[in-house]
Amino acid sequence: MATAAQEPKAPLKRSRRETRNDGGSALSTYGLLAPMLIVLGLFFLAPLYYILLFSIALRRFSPTEALAALNGELNGFTTELWSKLVGVDVIVKLPGIDLTVPTMVVALIFIVLLLLAVSGGRISKDRGGWIVGIAFLLLLAPFLTLPAGNNLLRIMSLSSEGDSLRLFFKSVSMAMTSSVIAVIIAIPVAYFLAFCVGKSKYTWMLIVIAPFLTSYLLRVFAWKVILGDQGLINSGLMAVGLVDEAAPLTFLIYSQFTVIVVLTYAWVPFICLPIFLSFETIDRRLLEAAMDLGATRWQAFRKISLPIIAPGIVAAFLFVFIPSIGEYITPTLVGGTQGTMYGQSLASQFVGGAFNWQYGSVMALFLLGVVLLLTFATSRFLRSGAGGNL
Amino acid sequence: MSEEMEPKLLNNTMSRKGFVAMTGAAGLAAFLAACGGSSDSSSDSVNEAQADGVTAEEAAAGGSFDPATEPDGPIEVFTWAGYDNSPEEGAPWMWSEYEDGPYGTKSPLKWTFLEDDGQALSKVASGYSPDISHPCIAYTVQWKEAGLIQPLDLKLLPDFDGVPTAISAGAVIDGVPYMVPFDVGFSCLTYDADVVNFDNVGGKESWEILLDDTYKGKMSIFSDDVAIIKIGQLINEGAVDPNVMTTEQIAAAKETALKIKPNLRNYWTSQTDTVNDFVNGNLVATYTWPDGYWKIKNHPKMKDRNIKYMQPIQGRLAWVCGMVLSSATKQPGRASLAMAAANTPSAGAGLTDYFQYASAQQKGVMELIQNKELIAAFDIDKPEAWEPPNAWFEAPLPNYREYITAGQEVKAA
Repeated sequence: MATAAQEPKAPLKRSRRETRNDGGSALSTYGLLAPMLIVLGLFFLAPLYYILLFSIALRRFSPTEALAALNGELNGFTTELWSKLVGVDVIVKLPGIDLTVPTMVVALIFIVLLLLAVSGGRISKDRGGWIVGIAFLLLLAPFLTLPAGNNLLRIMSLSSEGDSLRLFFKSVSMAMTSSVIAVIIAIPVAYFLAFCVGKSKYTWMLIVIAPFLTSYLLRVFAWKVILGDQGLINSGLMAVGLVDEAAPLTFLIYSQFTVIVVLTYAWVPFICLPIFLSFETIDRRLLEAAMDLGATRWQAFRKISLPIIAPGIVAAFLFVFIPSIGEYITPTLVGGTQGTMYGQSLASQFVGGAFNWQYGSVMALFLLGVVLLLTFATSRFLRSGAGGNL
Repeated sequence: MSEEMEPKLLNNTMSRKGFVAMTGAAGLAAFLAACGGSSDSSSDSVNEAQADGVTAEEAAAGGSFDPATEPDGPIEVFTWAGYDNSPEEGAPWMWSEYEDGPYGTKSPLKWTFLEDDGQALSKVASGYSPDISHPCIAYTVQWKEAGLIQPLDLKLLPDFDGVPTAISAGAVIDGVPYMVPFDVGFSCLTYDADVVNFDNVGGKESWEILLDDTYKGKMSIFSDDVAIIKIGQLINEGAVDPNVMTTEQIAAAKETALKIKPNLRNYWTSQTDTVNDFVNGNLVATYTWPDGYWKIKNHPKMKDRNIKYMQPIQGRLAWVCGMVLSSATKQPGRASLAMAAANTPSAGAGLTDYFQYASAQQKGVMELIQNKELIAAFDIDKPEAWEPPNAWFEAPLPNYREYITAGQEVKAA
């Protein structure tokens, strides 16, 4: 005779009381989310809504006609402003011919490549990493200069009227450089924290993020002291006779190089965290098994750790890349004439004396569009499982 | 101000072009009167100014405020760094008369700092609402047209008539005064004459030195869009008024500014930064105001250097700035009293003693200046130094948006 314990259990039906409890639980969950939603609504969506409307001239920001006139508000649609920003040509230098392509065509190719990479299909799984790489290369192409014999070859460039777009590409290039360097520096640091320091890892973590205890501005100014003509590096090189006192290394300060160095420095501690967390998720037994089977440490890292931490690396890259494209403070303080970035030009439309809020909104929306596209592509890319192909 | 222009102002019939022409002329006349030579001659010019002072009609056209009935609360002053009441870094002598007065504690002064005229105007236009702002006179028209400022109540400004009409006229719009002109000065290159020579640019001091790549990476100029274009114009056209430029001239000035750019270390946004860069050996020439030059010249690290303030063949740039009253202030009367404190002769003398500037206030100021050496060093007693072609005062720019766009494009290029 089958005992009660052995009888198959019927699926539990939810009582009305339980359903109510679930509802209450859902409500309390939303309650927990409420502060975040309010903050998001007030400080992100509302400004975004206004920028969106303003960028297509559907409403006025300025409370009076006089202020609207001062701020350069248009009465019609902002097609001419959009055209000013993106309506320029890309000149591709092919052997024997200069091919002129509208920017929109290049943008379309970029978007298609990205969508291919994130589609989750076979191409995406097999070649996702490559496609993403090519897409980003396309984004950087106007600023890539390749060695060609004794000369340097600029393979793509923008037509002369594209100042804002050129600045955007330049910012992408600088942001990408600092992001890649920051990730390369952060990976071994995170590895060290996860595998080499045992119980004291959180103490070490505090040490790594110690720079955040100081104001960002102070840290940037400290770099001016380090990189200046009479700064720590130049003085050191002069002391050992590697640099002539009359000819210090001037590229160290007020240049693109400086901006990249400072951005990298600023973000490395921050992105150690997601990479460290990725390392933490690795089952140590997998690494031990790999070693037992004869893998070197590098092979174990390459074949096991890297695919597992790939999402963390991509997330870390985006953590640096997205805010860096629109950077304002760092290039203003240490950028000089050559380190100007898109964020400075954007800000100047509103508060720098350009008196052109609508163009500023157009620039902001364009930046937001690119960032959203990259974020969407990255999240789909990771979800598609293609991260392992990096 | 010429006799034929004044009625036009009073009758509200002056065109923008006419206004520019008038203020351009005012620039010249201003310093004939304002900086008028020795103490004696300055007294004469003051008397003339008082005789020509703001008319009764203009005064009547202004506001009418009663400080006693206004609510207590801080008065926010949006000014250039260094003009606050900080005992160490600021100019407490400017505001002491107000702070020691009946409202100094009920309505204490608060400070925020502007970077340049364009930034100040756009910040206020975008909703920031200080009680007092400190723009330069060339922008008064834009401030007024945007409805950001209100007419002054001259009854609360007892020393206003010490400002020569030639200066105050630049901020009288439709017959109504909108600004208490305050500080006056040059903008030009400070350079190390032991390092910089002008052999490659004709042997005389010239803005063209910025094109000389001998000093590549060792020069800097102010990050002001209008100034960037004006310098380009002075290089292109010589000693010609850079306040009056056609679209083609602006385009040409932009091209020149683009040629200058590779030689620059940076476009500075803080004079303190560029002074530090200079004294630390990072620069050999930089655009400064008189105080910047004086700080560099007298810095201990520069004691063996031959530091000069350039007098270019094309002329220096020059400016007049002053206090304007926000149209949104709830304490216009008390804010006016604070402005009155900055308009006293002693405050005017302090401008020279502490900032090496000249003062728009002329009533007895020369006698009050303690460091007479500064009067000679900055040609405060030489009217011709402040006239074209030796100096070009800022004036309202009807096509200012073209200047700014071109300047922005240079920086972004």
